[in-house]
Amino acid sequence: MDASTKGREEATRAALEEGKAHFVFRSERPRLLAHALGNAALGILIVVMLWWVVAEAMMFIRGVAFPTPPETLIALWEALRGADVNGESIYTHTTVSLSRWGQGYLIALVIGLTLGMAFGTLPRLHEIGMVSVYVFQMIPGLAWIPIAMLIFGLGETATVFIIAMTAIPPLVINTAGGIREVPTVFTRVARMSGKDDSATFFQVLLPAASLSIINGMRIGLANGWRVLIAAEMVVGVALGLGFSIYQSRYNLDFTAAFVCIVVICMIGLAIEKLLFVSMENRVRHRLGLDREDLI
Amino acid sequence: MTAELRNVSKVFTDPRRGKGLIALKDVSLKVEEGEFLCLVGASGCGKSTTLNLLAGFEGPSRGEVFFKGEGVKGPSPDRGVVFQESSLYPWMSVLENVMFSLQGKERKEERAMEQLNLVGLEDFAHSRPSDLSGGMKQRVAIARTLAMGPDLLLMDEPFGSLDEQTRRKLDNEVLKLWQRERKTVVFVTHNIDEALLLGTRIVLMSPSPGRIEKEWRIDEPWPRDLSDPGLVRMKEEIINMLQACPCANGAPSALIELKGV
Repeated sequence: MDASTKGREEATRAALEEGKAHFVFRSERPRLLAHALGNAALGILIVVMLWWVVAEAMMFIRGVAFPTPPETLIALWEALRGADVNGESIYTHTTVSLSRWGQGYLIALVIGLTLGMAFGTLPRLHEIGMVSVYVFQMIPGLAWIPIAMLIFGLGETATVFIIAMTAIPPLVINTAGGIREVPTVFTRVARMSGKDDSATFFQVLLPAASLSIINGMRIGLANGWRVLIAAEMVVGVALGLGFSIYQSRYNLDFTAAFVCIVVICMIGLAIEKLLFVSMENRVRHRLGLDREDLI
Repeated sequence: MTAELRNVSKVFTDPRRGKGLIALKDVSLKVEEGEFLCLVGASGCGKSTTLNLLAGFEGPSRGEVFFKGEGVKGPSPDRGVVFQESSLYPWMSVLENVMFSLQGKERKEERAMEQLNLVGLEDFAHSRPSDLSGGMKQRVAIARTLAMGPDLLLMDEPFGSLDEQTRRKLDNEVLKLWQRERKTVVFVTHNIDEALLLGTRIVLMSPSPGRIEKEWRIDEPWPRDLSDPGLVRMKEEIINMLQACPCANGAPSALIELKGV
């Protein structure tokens, strides 16, 4: 018998003998968490191995200096200890990028949620506006560069603009969709209870659509982060993770580019897992849809 | 008289596909003060549509709907509906669900607890709807609807998805509530036994197009025994009329398409 499941086995046997329908045993959370972490680590390992194989193959076939995982890790370590990455410390690059991203996302939240709520409640507006939102959604990050430059010129504002524009569509689509899909019976209950439109909206439609809205917020956040490289091409000052990756093309410091890519991925993953998973779990719990992901 | 449908027809159309359906054709129905009216019939015969018209969720295509002598323009707290499906807000506790529909602002919590008391669920006031069984959820739904203080209680197959034992138990509770509160009830069901056990009047509807086929008055006191000869005869008659209809096997496909039944 596995030591970690011993408590469960014993409690089961005792319950069967005593004829009880319900029984409790010591939670196996630590074991399950370790298990989930182990699987996630295995997944990461597979990706890293693939990367390594490709790197070695490219060096052999094409004779290019493709950064391998160990090289990148060492460079990352150096960078974290304060070594320059394309002229600035990795911390400066990261802080600057995070701040641009935060500004762009904040603007996207205000515009996206407002539009989403309007489209969700007014069918006519939905028909008129939704096509444009889908079109915006299709515009790739790089395509925003000329538009941003024409409106704002080179600089921070253009960067923030690109981040906001890519984060807005999923916010609108998910907010509007979530509100529109609220079961009729929920609004009928509110109407027969004598609630006016605004009470129905805030007390019924918004909470009922909250899961979908959070999903939109999460996709929007990821979109904004992913577009960072394109967005930082139009930035005036030589700062930012995206800028640094772009810069590596010219000075052929590909290891620096990989370091920045790893940092971007780690930050994205951390926000996804720490912020949104806990937020979603909380909302799920409030909606009575408990499903807890350990990782 | 509490409520009335006067020569009401209800048409559903799908302009995109160019299809239409007469869900109700020239239906006239008077709901008397204090009665327990059961609407029975095969699915697709317009029972729920009739209820929605009385509730004011939908308007008639022809004819008029009255409540207490005035035309019905929309839903209102004086006509409370208990829905077929689970209609509790999952993000609110049981108590909050009841308080949501409560009219007036003072002593809300206390009054909501009184309603929960009526359905025997005061111990579950702070539970989530997802922690309750199907039968308990419908009891909360009843408490919530009663909290609106309605004069007319409209129940749309409220126990249709529950097992037989639970259904019987809840039927009896509804009966007790009705006897105590003296509300007027319109109760939609496709279960003839349920209608026989509860109603002071049974109205049989038939589909394609939905209309009123026949009605019976039941003067038996409660609790009723389904083996009572009068009720047995009535049941046989209702079943025969149901079987005579070619659409006794369920809603016609056109209706399913249009209403998304």
